[in-house]
Amino acid sequence: MIESTYLEGIRAGLQAEMREDENVILFGQDIAAFGGAFKVTLGFLDEFGPKRVFNTPISESAMIGSAIGMATQGLRPVVELQFADFGLTAVHQIMNNAAMTHYRTGIPVPITLRMPCGGGFGGGPFHSEELEGLFCNMPGLKVVYPAFPGDARGLLVSAIRDPNPVIYLENKYLYRHVKEMIPRKADPVPLGIARICRTGRDAVILTYGAMVHESIQAAERVAADAGYGVMVIDMRTLKPYDEDTVLSAVAACNRVLIVHEGCRTCGFGAELAALVAEKAFHLLDAPVRRMTAPDVPVPFAPELEKAYRPDADKIEQALMELLEF
Amino acid sequence: MTLDKDKGLEMLRVMLMTRAIEERLIRLYHQGKIYGGVYTGYGQEATGAATAALAGPNDIFTPCIRNLSAHIGRGASAMDVFRQWLGRKDGPTGGRDSNVHFGSAENGVYAMISHLGAMIPVCVGAVMGRRYRGLDSVGFAFIGDGGTSTGDFHEAVNFAAVRDVPVVIMIENNHYAYSTPTREQYRCKHLVDRAAGYGIEGIRVDGNDAVAMAEALGPVVEDIRRNPRPVLVEADTMRMRGHGEHDDFSYVPKELLDAYAARDPIRLARKQAADHGWADDAAADALAGEIQSVVDDAYKAALAESRPDASTLTLGVYAGD
Ligand SMILES: Cc1ncc(C[n+]2csc(CCOP(=O)(O)OP(=O)(O)O)c2C)c(N)n1
Repeated sequence: MIESTYLEGIRAGLQAEMREDENVILFGQDIAAFGGAFKVTLGFLDEFGPKRVFNTPISESAMIGSAIGMATQGLRPVVELQFADFGLTAVHQIMNNAAMTHYRTGIPVPITLRMPCGGGFGGGPFHSEELEGLFCNMPGLKVVYPAFPGDARGLLVSAIRDPNPVIYLENKYLYRHVKEMIPRKADPVPLGIARICRTGRDAVILTYGAMVHESIQAAERVAADAGYGVMVIDMRTLKPYDEDTVLSAVAACNRVLIVHEGCRTCGFGAELAALVAEKAFHLLDAPVRRMTAPDVPVPFAPELEKAYRPDADKIEQALMELLEF
Repeated sequence: MTLDKDKGLEMLRVMLMTRAIEERLIRLYHQGKIYGGVYTGYGQEATGAATAALAGPNDIFTPCIRNLSAHIGRGASAMDVFRQWLGRKDGPTGGRDSNVHFGSAENGVYAMISHLGAMIPVCVGAVMGRRYRGLDSVGFAFIGDGGTSTGDFHEAVNFAAVRDVPVVIMIENNHYAYSTPTREQYRCKHLVDRAAGYGIEGIRVDGNDAVAMAEALGPVVEDIRRNPRPVLVEADTMRMRGHGEHDDFSYVPKELLDAYAARDPIRLARKQAADHGWADDAAADALAGEIQSVVDDAYKAALAESRPDASTLTLGVYAGD
């Protein structure tokens, strides 16, 4: 076992796949000698050489468009977007080209788009966005969002091996904030399987990304303060998502809180709430609750951002209301 | 470079086939047999024919709506084209995408998406992918005068320049983007003037003269194959019909159409074939007649073919499922 941060997990997954398969190549802005804005790819240029690791101009659409071309010719490109926010300048390449090619032509497009996302550090409106809801609404994409170092590594391995375009969301706040012991070997973590992070029978929190950690904290507090047992599920993959695990958890707990960092309307939580309403309504002892950011851009000032972003305090309060409904 | 007889005749064949198919598509449209619009490259057949004649087996094409001739030149059959337009089950996209949005992995031809400019970076990446495996590929990315105003055009040309990717960016300047004349599209004298801004070479050609185009571009293509880098080509041509068949194009001055009608690429190619001794009038008529019967058989056969089964709607969104 080795100790790994979330960022090191991403790096290790990328490195393992690049060692495994010479068709895996990596490009993006400032990722070569400089190692990327967050230093995820530090040392990659030395290890893998300039043919496999190279910088690009600030051209998200050309980066993703060319990745589609490469992927359809046998490569497995991994593109680092400096921030998920900037992926929006290439959304037609993601949605209309990458995601639709297999359905239209039968040709697979195995690309992985690494998108650093999320807030909590004063990034402001353009360096903090949570865009998973948008990407989940694009048929043909898979959407992955790890919360732990080991999953960051294993899900990235699976994303790269997957024959489809995969949006790999990496939460910037978690880069250096979470650590865990992980096995030496970079085994894949299968896409589409949620992880039960904490068991309990009084309520279940369905969440992902940075909010997994806030939710665990909140669950621990209500256990200590009020003796409730709260299950926490990390969705890990948002598309395709693990319906079975969600429904069994609802059956076991009968009360559901959905937590995510991004805004509310048509957010991924709305999908989970709809699933529970459709398939498990009869199992509920209380209405489904959502704890999300409000429908506003991510603000900069710490007072505003704190008000915007869900955290353990807000989750705890929502949880108590749900438990005592 | 002077062209040989085989290439000269091949270009003529491609242009005749393209014209015959598109004339039939126009008729099918007016007969109400095509679902959706019809967009052709009528009068612009030379660019696809010339580039296909210059390309090798490992080369990549990303054609746009005016470039059926590039598909034909790369090996698409009349049958593929009619099945596609008619949305038939066994067509290249099985009814999942429309009109010229089809390709062939085997022929190195990509299925365009509608978003203008979006296929240029794909072409660049596909060439990079093939070259990564040691192939000597060159790309041919087509774009209209209107499409040059997109961000993707700029991003992709600059990207190819910075990474030394051998792609011919073939701008077909047909004077109009739907109803928008070029004076409302750009301010440089010629679009090819932009090449200097990208630090690459730019070449202007007569887009209606397949022979001259092939002769001018042949050495360039071979040079960028060996010394990889992109080039910008601007082919002067004219959209001889509406944007689509629904469009009466009354906004285009008649004199302009007349001037280009006098320089119809097929008429020109036939004259050149006769002048070079490749095919006299009788031989060209015979070729056109053979092609016409292939096209007639193909559209009838395609009309009789089955349509997609609605129960397959949700299949194949993901690879490997
Ligand atoms: C990004 C984008 N915006 C708008 C359109 C709608 N559209 C389709 S064709 C066209 C005109 C294209 O003009 P040009 O690039 O000059 O090509 P031409 O049709 O003249 O061959 C427009 C505006 C589109 N397909 N893509």
